[in-house]
Amino acid sequence: MNINYLANLSLYIPEIMVIFTLVGLLFIEATYSEEEKGRKLFFGVMTVGLVLALLALVKNLGVPPASIFTNAVIIDPFSTIVKILMVAGTLFTIYLGQQSRDIYSNMKAEFALMAIGVLVGGMLLASANNMLTTYIGVETLSILSYVMATLKKNDDRSSEAGIKYVLYGGVASGMMVFGISHIFGVFGSIQFVEIYPLIKDLSSLQMAILIPSFIFFFVGLGYKIACVPFHMWAPDVYEGSPLPVTTFFAIVPKMAGMAILLRVTMIFFGPENTVMHVSWVGVLQVVAALTMIVGNVSAIAQKSVKRMLAYSSIGQAGFMLLGVVVIDDIGVSAVLFYMITYLFMTLVAFFITSFVADKYGNDHFERFSGLGFRYPLMGVVMAVVMFSLTGVPPFAGFIAKFNIFYAAINQKLYTLVLIGGLTSVISFYFYVKVIRFMFFTPAESEEKIGGFGYINQGLITALAVPVLFLGIFWSGLITKIVHSKLFFVQ
Amino acid sequence: MHGLLNYILWLPILGSLLILLIPKEKVNAIRWFTVAVTTVTFILCCILYVNFDQAVPGIQPFTAVSMPWIKSFNIYYKLGIDGISLPMVWINGLLFLICSFSSFDIKKMHKGYFSLLLMLQGSIFGVFMSLDFFLFYVFWEVMLLPMFFLIGIWGGDNREYAAIKFFLYTFFGSVLMLLAIIALYFAAEGRLGAETFDMVKLMGGHFADLKLSLFGMDLPFDKVFFAMLFVGFAIKVPIFPFHTWLPHAHVQAPTAVSVILAGVLLKMGTYGFLRISYPIFPQAGHYFGDFIAWLGLVNIIYGALCAMAQTDVKKLIAYSSVSHMGFVMLGIAAMTTEGMNGAVLQMFNHGLSTAMMFLLIGILYERSHHRWIVTPEGKKGFGGLYAQMPKYSIIFIIGLFASLGLPGLSGFISEALVFIGVFKPYPTIALLGLIGLVLGAAYLLWMFKRMFFGEIIDSCKEYADVNKREMFYMAPLCFLVIFLGIYPLPILDVMKTSVGKLVIDLAKFAP
Repeated sequence: MNINYLANLSLYIPEIMVIFTLVGLLFIEATYSEEEKGRKLFFGVMTVGLVLALLALVKNLGVPPASIFTNAVIIDPFSTIVKILMVAGTLFTIYLGQQSRDIYSNMKAEFALMAIGVLVGGMLLASANNMLTTYIGVETLSILSYVMATLKKNDDRSSEAGIKYVLYGGVASGMMVFGISHIFGVFGSIQFVEIYPLIKDLSSLQMAILIPSFIFFFVGLGYKIACVPFHMWAPDVYEGSPLPVTTFFAIVPKMAGMAILLRVTMIFFGPENTVMHVSWVGVLQVVAALTMIVGNVSAIAQKSVKRMLAYSSIGQAGFMLLGVVVIDDIGVSAVLFYMITYLFMTLVAFFITSFVADKYGNDHFERFSGLGFRYPLMGVVMAVVMFSLTGVPPFAGFIAKFNIFYAAINQKLYTLVLIGGLTSVISFYFYVKVIRFMFFTPAESEEKIGGFGYINQGLITALAVPVLFLGIFWSGLITKIVHSKLFFVQ
Repeated sequence: MHGLLNYILWLPILGSLLILLIPKEKVNAIRWFTVAVTTVTFILCCILYVNFDQAVPGIQPFTAVSMPWIKSFNIYYKLGIDGISLPMVWINGLLFLICSFSSFDIKKMHKGYFSLLLMLQGSIFGVFMSLDFFLFYVFWEVMLLPMFFLIGIWGGDNREYAAIKFFLYTFFGSVLMLLAIIALYFAAEGRLGAETFDMVKLMGGHFADLKLSLFGMDLPFDKVFFAMLFVGFAIKVPIFPFHTWLPHAHVQAPTAVSVILAGVLLKMGTYGFLRISYPIFPQAGHYFGDFIAWLGLVNIIYGALCAMAQTDVKKLIAYSSVSHMGFVMLGIAAMTTEGMNGAVLQMFNHGLSTAMMFLLIGILYERSHHRWIVTPEGKKGFGGLYAQMPKYSIIFIIGLFASLGLPGLSGFISEALVFIGVFKPYPTIALLGLIGLVLGAAYLLWMFKRMFFGEIIDSCKEYADVNKREMFYMAPLCFLVIFLGIYPLPILDVMKTSVGKLVIDLAKFAP
């Protein structure tokens, strides 16, 4: 038994860096708070810290996987890629937070601080390797998220969002820890490594305790990724929160939750554990199907683009779940590829929506009228992203869905794939609504929209390039993902 | 000659990107640039035709292009044409050349329009040339994007609805197709030894006795996926009851887009049957044979009856397309040499005649700004056009009679071949189908009578006859329709070996 608690600590540098950045930012914020100079320093330090963390993560990609803190945390290519996505997502969302009028100017630093705090939780969750780390990750992620939702203090909907989030979150994590305690009761261990050999042969009594316990456990995770039937909070929270916060919620907690769900599923519920496999996969299949259907169908009737994107992110999570249900290496790489494209599509969609909402005060579909002619670049980029979210080639979203379908059909999950396909047809209707207003309807006004300066145009285009590029030249990336062993149990 | 298909495929797409560099004020430069690109493309198509070797039954070796695209998924960039795809490729080249001339009338945003038009041409070429199923699917979908914007931005009053309906229908069908494609890929491992998206390797009925489980039911693999592909292609053809997007799309689309829609896009559906559904699932093809033949008949009669009830002349022609595509389906379902040859020839001939009709309606619309045979208020929309526009009327007559299948014009030969082919396996359907011919003559002649004969109504008195530009792009179509009516061998010869091989391959699996 290895009792060197600090072995392989160098692999943990990215997290340590993010935490140091967080602490440093707290000091800067406390000392300089209101001054312009302090603001510059604050965001400068933040950017440097996160970029360094990103570089450290990229360096980790090449390092052989290992576990740290006596198996509490595992660093493998899968977790590292998810972390890269989350850090990049945080960086861009904080930038959006600076731009957006939805976050009051005296709150911008708080937003950044809390986002980085959530990021720490997300990173912990992505590489959690025992039950307790999982729970701590979920809690770190959640508690700051509750506060983030209420950032727009004097807006009723924002406060409502916070309260809803806290109530749902509290109940869900309570159930989760309840489930974990029973799992611990059966196995006498919280380590994934020690549990998974035991799970292969269980008595029927143990099974009777374990199946409900794991379902309780799943409730906690399911609520983080907002899958049906634990999605009720999502649209209200997404709508009530300021737009950059919504963007953040759609990226970091979702990816972290998906990562841990995938890890738990892969470790415990492989096809070799017949009974547990059948029951867990059964639950996941139903949840995936429901998530795709409810997410996509509910998005049809939305009037606000932000709310539409919120429902759509539920639907997109359903697609990722379809990749989780597969439970093999192809499925893992499909989910990862999906996350990569999802990051870019979501960022671009929310960026453009944020600029439009800042100009007009709301983000109803009508506000997008004629945008395609007034700002052709924005129009084209938004159209590309919307088609990509629908899953139309030659854009990356299609390849992402193709990979998921590919993995699922390989396991003969025809029914789920059929449901997935039909829901993406439905999704076309609401995604195209944005395009319809941008290109088919005359403009409401000729006033300039503030956010569409050269820098932001350049940024949005740069974020959209992968959406185009990965739709055609995905050979390199997918080969890399498919051929590297992503997952490790140690 | 190697790589000729590459040039034909990528030249329009490259052109569509280059157009974006031309300043948008230089409208004429944009127009003539498009004409230049489509002309070169058409010349390349003609070179392709000249080099075609009629004796080769399968894919022409000189056209074959193959290189890996996504290695880990065995996806190839694989192109090639045979006698079935060549007429489609050629007519695609021709119609886009004509359309780039007819699109001079476009009033707004020339740059975007011509760029999308060229993008559309390239992606349609891709559909007819791809031999890799994944590549085929990508082009099949990419084609939707320019079409969607062409209808949605440059269309009529109700264009949003039409564009979205068009996209939704096709997208629904293609999602089912995607499922079939991936399932075939994995099934190929067991049957062919390796997973593949290669259409040619998948052909030959390898998947007859597989099973799959869907919604908890055990179903035969080939029949389920044949049905899924059927829906995908039937929406495009369109086969009743999937046809409802077509009249809207046609009526709302600008003239050139209607021409492409009717002339080439609908053929992608029937081409899918000939290239994919039947060769890959021949057993299921035989199993569903009667059903498809009857649906073809429904198309013929139903399309004709709907056409008869229309007061909008463009909608009338749109429904006549539904009716005429029914003949193609009937010919395919018969699975006889004559029937198949007739079907492929009808695909080509219908492309010519319906393109003529839509262009002519577009020319008229330029002058009248309405298309009512009878206006909603119950007055005559047109009357006595013959006296006012004699040249126009002559061209209209040629197009009209080619459409209704008058002997001596192109439509007759293909319809006759279809009936000869259908008569042996389905005598009842053949007889009932003849009603469709009579109905076709009825609605077309009735329309002609109401619009061209009788008193000139006041609003028609200022219409100018066809101008030189319009004459210039109508002339080749008139010539082809007459020429192929008398001497159809240039097309028949090209396709007969490939079609013959298909018929023989299918006959092996007859129950």
